[in-house]
Formats: sequence, structure tokens, C-alpha cells
Amino acid sequence: MSTQPRSFTINGLTRSVAVADQQTLADMLRDQLGLTGCKVGCDQGMCGACTVLVDGVPIAACSCFAFMVEGAAITTIEGVAPRDRLDPVQQAFLEAGAVQCGFCTAGLILSVHALLQRIPDPDDATIGHWLEAHVCRCTGYAAIMEAVRLAAARMIQAAA
Amino acid sequence: MDATPNATSRFPASARDRVTGRVRYAFDVELPGMLHGKLLRSPHAHARIRGIQTAAALAIPGVAAVLTGQDTAQLPDPFYGVGLRDQPVIATDRVRYVGDTVAAVIACDELTAFRAAAAIVVDYEVLPALMTPGDALAVDAPALFDHPAAGGGMGVGEGSTLVCEPARNVLCDYTFGYGDVDAALARSAAVFTDSFGFSRINHFHLEPHVNVARWTGDRLEMWSCNQDPFVIRADLARVFGIRLHDVCLHTPPVGGGFGGKSYCKMEPLVALMARTANAPVRLGLTFDESILTTTKHAAVLTLTTGVDAAGRLTARRADIVLDGGAYADASVMVAVKTGFRIGGPYRWAALDSKARMVRTNCVPGGSFRGFGGTQASWASERQIDMIARRCGIDPFDFRMRNFLNVDEPFAPGDSGMDSDLRAGFSEMAELLGTAAPCPPGRGRGFAVGLKDAGGTGNHAQAVIKVTQGGEAIVSAAVVEIGQGAGITLCRIAAEALGIDPANVVYAGIDTDHTPPDNGTHVSCGTTVTGLAVEQAAREVRRQIVDFVAERLGCEAAAVTLDGWTARVGNHVHALEPMIRAWYGGIGWEFIGRGAFKEPYDSTAPLRAKNMAWMPCWSGAEVEVDRQTGRVTLHRLVVGADAGRAVNRLACHGQIEGAAMQAVSQAMFEELRYDGPMPENATPRGYRVAQTPDLPIGFTSFVAEHGFGRGPGKLKGIGEAGILGVAASIANAIEDACGARLTSMPFTPEKVLAALDRIHTASAE
Repeated sequence: MSTQPRSFTINGLTRSVAVADQQTLADMLRDQLGLTGCKVGCDQGMCGACTVLVDGVPIAACSCFAFMVEGAAITTIEGVAPRDRLDPVQQAFLEAGAVQCGFCTAGLILSVHALLQRIPDPDDATIGHWLEAHVCRCTGYAAIMEAVRLAAARMIQAAA
Repeated sequence: MDATPNATSRFPASARDRVTGRVRYAFDVELPGMLHGKLLRSPHAHARIRGIQTAAALAIPGVAAVLTGQDTAQLPDPFYGVGLRDQPVIATDRVRYVGDTVAAVIACDELTAFRAAAAIVVDYEVLPALMTPGDALAVDAPALFDHPAAGGGMGVGEGSTLVCEPARNVLCDYTFGYGDVDAALARSAAVFTDSFGFSRINHFHLEPHVNVARWTGDRLEMWSCNQDPFVIRADLARVFGIRLHDVCLHTPPVGGGFGGKSYCKMEPLVALMARTANAPVRLGLTFDESILTTTKHAAVLTLTTGVDAAGRLTARRADIVLDGGAYADASVMVAVKTGFRIGGPYRWAALDSKARMVRTNCVPGGSFRGFGGTQASWASERQIDMIARRCGIDPFDFRMRNFLNVDEPFAPGDSGMDSDLRAGFSEMAELLGTAAPCPPGRGRGFAVGLKDAGGTGNHAQAVIKVTQGGEAIVSAAVVEIGQGAGITLCRIAAEALGIDPANVVYAGIDTDHTPPDNGTHVSCGTTVTGLAVEQAAREVRRQIVDFVAERLGCEAAAVTLDGWTARVGNHVHALEPMIRAWYGGIGWEFIGRGAFKEPYDSTAPLRAKNMAWMPCWSGAEVEVDRQTGRVTLHRLVVGADAGRAVNRLACHGQIEGAAMQAVSQAMFEELRYDGPMPENATPRGYRVAQTPDLPIGFTSFVAEHGFGRGPGKLKGIGEAGILGVAASIANAIEDACGARLTSMPFTPEKVLAALDRIHTASAE
């Protein structure tokens, strides 16, 4: 096993990171870059807490080696909005009460971004299908569904 | 993507940090020079440890130390548990469940620690595994413990008895009752006996158990995901034989708990790992390990219940057997609460309840949202429905006829019902739309779960500091586990201070500075701690009024605080200039203290009158596919009484989250064993509810009956939504197709088997 510098575009900035071959994307983000908004829950690609966007696609960062996404554009929760602002999905999650402990929230928000990028006005079945990749043990999901509907409506309105 | 300008103002930083990724949990704590731990766990349900070879592990570069039961046995008090302390910090002579801790490795990183753990060789002599209470109570079953446990049970009052370790492999027997059950049953027009199975489930909190420990000299600091900082401080001081104030627990926001992070778990072990390695140590469990740490108690509840000719409940006898698992944890309390709560929200002439907690070789049972109340509400509400149907009485009317009235005591010597049970039940029915006929092919079911809330003789303290500018900081030990405790306590403080809640923040928790409480449990935060916060705020207000009166040379009674000004007669005085003028320098903080203690009362069954009662009204509408046995949950209405809703959005969140945990348990979720081996104790094997499992129509409601004892008549709501929901679904299944389910989960196989039983019975 070796460690070598690899290049990534992380939240818009191109970075060179010394990455070990066996290092996961989640560990690289958390341990090397301090992007601890990426939470590792099950560590088996099932709970969705560690979801980040790789070239716009939601990926379980716990189950992806860092070298596999060399050269890709990676968006973490820290890159969703400027420090003093909330983006519409973050805002909708707060307003709808879709956040309790918050451990699943970053991953969910990033998946919702990917969803609304592709399908700006999803129906409930589509939302449910997309978010099936996530577990939230606190909210019972109804508020999360509501947050996605709210964010979608606002983003459509803003785009019009 | 465009960010909304000024969007941040409506929510406090503590809430915003949860959507921006800035919130830091114990999971995220990192200290300079920190080492990492991994545990070796038992692959056997029951075995004697004949020897442990650690040389190969210690030879791996980067390994700092390996600890075994031989090391932990040297601690001043190497056992923990709630009341009864039977769980060793590391298993010494025997392992008692698959997942029991056998050795701990400390290394430079997790990967090295993991490899070292795998290099440890343990020589086991496998012993018979007692996987059910039946196994454990068999005449030839081996004793799981050679000696009685340290410590004792909990105090109980009139009408209750509690005996710890009364027989081999029995952790405790609890009894509760009043009146003459035999006579009341003999007088009854009909008597029914039914048995109900309650399944074992895991908390499945997304943040696994994480602890970080650091010793500085003789002083221990820990950053823990545990929701009971002062309980853990006491455990650590006892285990290590050090003073309470030589331990400081830091409690960051917790990534989900539901009881799984309450009471002592691996905290003493992590502290010992740090002391041995002479460096800060982090132990983060894997999700699999967290699943094998503690569970909700599986149980079998047999209820014998009488009804008179007018359809009134007469008496109930309950025989409850709970599977406590390998170690005591909170099991004594769970036995007490299950036995005590078995009567539910009804009036009885007599009650005779016995709850037995049996030790087995399963994962230790522990605290889980609503414990005891969930088991009791499932069995009781299922049987109430079955009785109504067998008596030809409408299940809705049957309950309405038998509910306790407002102020009517739950049991002799206890406090009165502080919710209008009929009003809540009617609200549920209205939201479910029971006035309209049930759509063809569907069935409807109801349930009213009930538990006490607020704790037994509970206490809490609070401190509020208010600056010259009118900014307040509230300090109390209610841990943020997702319920929004800080926001609610800040609103209570703002109400009492008469200031804008936006100017109030909730302080971080550490045991050096935070005033103590008994832990974040039993839906007590807003009631018990809320009262302490309210008192602290009033004390601050009094100090400010006295200050103004002294400065202006008037009577305190002449001063009225309004926002951050003081009015005396027709004159309005801004407070900040007055405070600054007197104190100078950096200004001043008024500091108020508040405390609450519910007194013990031996005439109450649990040795203190219960602070609050927590009903959960639930209604379900289901469809059953008679060919496949598949149940579709079309509608679910769940409501609870907050007394007064200080944070309505958070109340809905608590009810809905708890209700979906109950739906999950009702429909599919279960931690199963295949012989001595856990069958699905992995995040992939263990299924919990996800978005597609949401009932098609899901409604929560927050009642405000205004009888709570908390500030402004509020009361806690956190556990309510999990009570009785499963029973309402099973009752709806029976209503839809006649299938009489008496155990969870309601799998297609069970539904088909129940339908077969009907056909067999009708063919005979």
C-alpha cells in the first residue's frame, strides 16, 4: 500500500491530497480536509449519512476509495452555501422540522440537491424512491418529504 | 445554487448548524496525540474464558496496549449497571452474549487497532446458551452468574414489591396491585385470558457509540455521546475510586439515542484505555457493535381481564416475562415500569400485576424510548380491542366507557390523570374520519397507549446568566438528542424573563459547570428541568427589579420590567445604561439559580407521585391482501398531549418520529436470533423504516389540554408517539380480515397463519 498525492476539486477548490490506497473518501474528507459534516453512520453504504456529491452524483463516501474519485468535483455539505447563508434545501429542512439530531441531515440535503437538479418537481413516489438510500431514525420522514416539496416549489418559483 | 439572503435569522445557530454540517458530535472530537481503540468481542453466547494470548497483537507496530478482564478486574469497582451492577468493564471469567467485550486494543489508528484485535487468541470453553427466558428458567439451566450482583434495585412504594435476584437466572420480580382481583373476576360477566409477544428491537441511532477520554494528572475528562452526563460521572468516579470532581464529562449534541446512549456503557473502559496508554483515546464503535450493545426488551405478557354485563372493565391480572439479556443495565427499572403500566388508561376495581425479568445470553436489554410503556401498551390495547370484539361492543365505545376521568388517580396513592382521554380519543377519530364508513376491504383500529412521565422523585437544576444588554444563557443538563431541548428551555426562560427568545442561548454541557440532573430520560426535560429554568429566570428578574429599585430609590413593587426597560410610574428607564453606569468595566451578569425536586412519597406505588401522564391516541386504517397476507397501512393518525405546546413543530416531530419507530416494529423490524447467533445484527440485515414505509396518509396531532405541571401547564411529549401504535395496527388488521395477531412483527406469514386459523375454526 502506498500514499501519494492525488488531485480533487472539493467544494469548488482544486486540492492535492496525500491519500493512502486503502483510504475511503469519507476518511479523506474528515481526517485530511476537516470536512466533518460528512458523517459516517453504518460504514457499509446503507444508511446514507455520509452521502456526498461526486460530479453531481450522490455517493456513499464510506464505501468509496478516495483514489476512485481522483480528478472529480466533490460537493460536501460545507460547499452547499456560503458560510453566512442557507440554501433553499437547508432552509426548507429547518422550516419543515425535517431535522432532529442532524446526523443524517447533511447526506439527505445533498441527495435532495441531486434529485432537484434532475427532477425539479418530483412527485411523492419519486422523492420516496430517491430518499430510500437514507435512514433517519428521528423524524419519521413525513417532515423530510415536506421539506423536499417546499424546497422544490421555492426553487421552481425562483427560477421562473 | 442561490442561497436565500437573511435566511438565517429565523432559526438559532444550534438549529442552523445541523443543516450546514457545522454541528460537532462526540463522533467528531479529535484531541492532539489521540490514539484509537478497538474491541475484541465474543463469538459465543456463553463460554468460559480459559486463556487469552495477546503477544501477537502487542507485537504489531503501532499498538500501544491491550487490555483484558485481568486488567479491568484490578479496578476499585469493575462492574456497572443501573441499581444492580453485574456488567464487568471487560468480561473476566466468562462471556455471556455474542458481542460481549473480551479485550480492548489501543493503537495509533483504527486500522492497526482492528488488526491487533484480530491477532488476539482466546481459548473458550463453550457453555450451554440460554437464549430465551424458557431456557434460562429450565430446571437444569446453569446459573449465568456465580455471585449476587453488587448494588440493589430501586425503591418502590405502597402497592408495589421488588425483589432482586429471587431465583436462579431471575434478575428481579416486581409486583403491583390493589383491590381483590379474584373476587372482581368472579363477579365479572366475562373473563378473557390472552398472551402477547413483544419483539426485541435495536435503537439504530445513526451515530454509533463514541467516547474520547483524556487524563491530565489524576483528572479524567471525557467527551461522550452518552445522554446522562452526571450518571456517567458518578459511574466513572466509583469505578476508578476517584472524587466526583476529578471527572469532567463533556456532552456535545448526540446523534440519536432513543435510550441506547443512556446509562453507563463503555465509558469506564475508554477511560481505562486512555490511562493505560497515557494518551487521549477515542473508541468509536462500528454500527454492528452498537446493535450488539443494548436493545428494547422482548417480552411475553399474559393478561386475564374481566368485564361486567354493562361493558365495564373490572379487574386485570398480568403475568409478564421479560428477556433481560446478559446484563442488568436498566432492566430492573424496565420490569417495574412494565408491571406498573399494564392497566393502561382505564379504571379498575382491582389489579394484580407481576413482571419477571429473566437473564439470558442475548444482548442486554436496556433503556428504549417509552420502556415498559411500549410493552404494556401493546398487550393491553390489543387485548382491550379483542375483548370489545368478543363482547360485541364497538371498540371505540368500549374505551370511551372505561377511560379514567381528568384528575382521577391512575392507581391508589398516585397522581390524577392530567389529560382528557376522551377528548384526545375523539380528536383522533375525527382526524381518521371514522364518521364516514371504512372503505371496502379495509379495517380500522384504535389504541390509547399510556405511560407515566417525568420520572420518579426526579430533580433538576438550572442557571441563567443575563448580561447588561439583555442577552441570556441557560445552563442545564438536558442533552440535545434531536428533541430540540435547548430551544424549548430557552423559550421557557424568555417567557419568564419577558425578553425575545432570539436573545437566549443554551449553554454547552460539561459536568464542571452545568448544574446536575438525573439524565435525559422519561420525557422530563421540559417539565422537570423546565420548572428549574422558569424559577432561575424569575430569580434573575427579581435581581434586576431589586437593582433598579435600589438605583432609583423606589420600592421594588413599583418597578415593572418590559422587554429590556424598567418602568416606574410614567418613566421608562433603559436598563443597559443604568447597569453599565453602576458596574462600569465590562458590565455585569445577573445570575439566577433554579431547582426542582419532586418529593418521595412512600404511599405512591413508585415511591413518588408521577409528574405527568402521557397518553398516545392512535388510529390506523389498513388493507390486507388475503392471498399474500401483506398488510398495507393506508392511514395512521397519532396524537399526544403537550399540555401546552411551547414548540409545536418539535412536538409534531417527536410524535411522528416515535410513531414511525412503532410502525417499523409493528410491520417488520426485529432483532432475531438463530440459535445462539444473532441473525440480522448488521445495518444491512436489520431493516428499519425508510421513506417508502411511510403510511400513505400520516397525520400527527398535538393536543393542548392544559393540565401539565410544567411551566405554563406544559408536559413532556417525547416518548408518547411510540405507545400503542402497533396495537392500533393489529386491531385494524383484525377489523379488516379477522386475523387475530398477538405477536410482532405483523409479517405476511403471521397474517396468513392467523387467517388459516379462522378457516380451520370455521370448518370444525
